[in-house]
Amino acid sequence: MKSLEIRNLQKTYFDPYAGTKVTAVQDVSLDIREGEFVSVVGPSGCGKTTILNMVAGFLPATGGEIRVGGRPVKGPGADRGVVFQSFALFPWKTVLDNVGFGPKMRGVPKAERDRIAREYLALAGLSHAADRYPNELSGGMQQRVGVVRALANDPDVLLMDEPFASVDAQTRMTLQEELTRIWQEKQHTVLFITHDVGEAVFLADRVVVLSKGRVMRDIPVTLPRPRVWDEVTEDEDFKRLSAEVLHMVRAA
Amino acid sequence: MNPALQAWGYYARWTARWPGVAALVPFIPVVAIWWLVASLEVFPRAFFPGPAEVVRGFVDLTYKGILPAYLEDSVGRLLLGAGFGMAIGIPLGILVGLSQTAYRATWPIILFFQAIGDIAWLPILLIWFGFGLTTMTFVIVYTVVFPVVFNTVLGVRSVPRDLPRAALSLGAPRWRVLTEVILPGALPNIVTGLRNGLGYGWRALIAAEIIVGTSGIGFLMFDARRAGSATEIVLGMIVLGLLWYAVDAWILAPIERATGQRWGLVTRT
Repeated sequence: MKSLEIRNLQKTYFDPYAGTKVTAVQDVSLDIREGEFVSVVGPSGCGKTTILNMVAGFLPATGGEIRVGGRPVKGPGADRGVVFQSFALFPWKTVLDNVGFGPKMRGVPKAERDRIAREYLALAGLSHAADRYPNELSGGMQQRVGVVRALANDPDVLLMDEPFASVDAQTRMTLQEELTRIWQEKQHTVLFITHDVGEAVFLADRVVVLSKGRVMRDIPVTLPRPRVWDEVTEDEDFKRLSAEVLHMVRAA
Repeated sequence: MNPALQAWGYYARWTARWPGVAALVPFIPVVAIWWLVASLEVFPRAFFPGPAEVVRGFVDLTYKGILPAYLEDSVGRLLLGAGFGMAIGIPLGILVGLSQTAYRATWPIILFFQAIGDIAWLPILLIWFGFGLTTMTFVIVYTVVFPVVFNTVLGVRSVPRDLPRAALSLGAPRWRVLTEVILPGALPNIVTGLRNGLGYGWRALIAAEIIVGTSGIGFLMFDARRAGSATEIVLGMIVLGLLWYAVDAWILAPIERATGQRWGLVTRT
């Protein structure tokens, strides 16, 4: 695990239709310690996905600096695992080969990467689906594979871009609980982007509220772990925090 | 139970076991009408042969070895041309699909040359290369390349942006993204392009054989015209249709089933 430092990050781009320069991210600084889980929330258009895309190396920043474990980020790399809202599983590979893709790229031999993939699949209760193709699985199962695929590559930092936004509400709660359980086991450094306030508070050690390309607030979450929805929903701290964050997001 | 329904059930079970039968059944009325029109002698027999004459012609030409030899020539030319066509079309399509610069530099040229139909090249090709295999191969390559290029470009562009991103963030170098993501992602479209290309190429080949002709099914038909044998012309036409059906049903469709359909990229029909 490594820390993630974001310093004065900025992104402007030229909008060819409007003929003007648009600022997506104005000036964002954010530090995530080793093994810390940070949620970033904000209304749509606040620049949260743009930040993740820059941290992942998919988009170049127009200003500022991103460091993983002190090393500056240049383009995409295996040190930052990404979980996508669209799942982004390879449709032509079985679940096992999807999960083993990262190790394959590192040159891990077939038998060894299958063993790694099976171990991680078991972690998410997906052992039975190893030989199936992604389109044969439900949305919830597909995203479990998406999470497990990122973890099996043993990244320093895990980047999650609204990963549970396109699964149904019941499945989402189960996935959130599974994620906290796995996170407690593996203690990854996580940057989690969402627009769902309850989700942000439930999962994180800190919630960062973003507005118009800037950090508006940075709120620590001290709810006890392990967290399960049946208990957390009743928790007074959770209710107070969620209400507070929701208020800020709506005012943002 | 209704006897018609019973017969239908029997038919359905039977064709499920031998799918080839299901492909032949629709031709029964076609052949029946053909037979009826021919035997009523609506047209003179010499101009409009019936099924029996054509079958006799088929047996005769097969026995003499002419039909198998010509068929081999035609299919060989098609495969040679299609092979070159793919070797040019797939890499070009991937390049144009991936690179905006390559797209801007080549697209107008591709459209320009696409507009000059394959057959329109024949006069100049005959001057350059004469009546031979080079001319025919050129025509087929020319016909196959465009549908392969267009569909490959489409295929490359239809790969969702998150897939190469996912591969990169899992540590894939650029060239592995090409082989592991872009190529398989574009494959269903490439197969479609190949299917169209082969179909056009097959037609272009027959046209080329009629003009260039020294052998082949197209030559067989045109040569029969000189001898005034309507039977052999009709036989040639039927062979063209049957051969294409075989290529499509036994080669192209299975590839589609094994790739795009299995992966859920293409809906089943």
